Amino acid sequence: MSKILYIQTSGLDTPERLYAPFILGMTARAMDVDASIFFMIKGITALKKGEAEKIKIGSFPSLKEVMDQALATGVKMYICEQSTQLLGLDRGDFIPQAKVAGAATLNDLALDADSVISL
Amino acid sequence: MDQNISYDAELDCVGLFCPMPISKTKEEIENIEVGQILKVEADDPAAEEDISRWARRVGHEVLSMERSGNIITIWIKRKK
Repeated sequence: MSKILYIQTSGLDTPERLYAPFILGMTARAMDVDASIFFMIKGITALKKGEAEKIKIGSFPSLKEVMDQALATGVKMYICEQSTQLLGLDRGDFIPQAKVAGAATLNDLALDADSVISL
Repeated sequence: MDQNISYDAELDCVGLFCPMPISKTKEEIENIEVGQILKVEADDPAAEEDISRWARRVGHEVLSMERSGNIITIWIKRKK
């Protein structure tokens, strides 16, 4: 199975950039492609518990709905918790479906993927 | 049962965060012989996924992992 990795570095301050990895990821799953999203830098802010519910842009459904659909289709999610230290945020309190991971995991995912898309 | 795995060296990464557990584990595994076992303890929640992937990528074998509270203990066999 082909593999795509999406790297999400955009966060809550640019809500219009938050939908893409979930939509692309669930579409990849429909195409029988293995899809992973790695959230890092500001990207981690959208995975704090309760934040996705607050985001709704234009005529799109809430970010939470799109995230849940992506999870339901089997999109894997990883979160760089260490980015909290860069942003001056507290550790923890992320959605439990995202696996806390770090630099070795991102490098490994990128090396294994057939394509890497940074958002 | 896992706690009975004998090891040749141990590394305490408690209190260290990414990427330090990986850097320290790499350093330490180079101080043991091929075939010997390194026991690593860490409390960085990223360590479980990171160390597993690092070991697979580098070619060492994770023999076992055990979580107790925040601490993950990983036994790694140096393979090369």
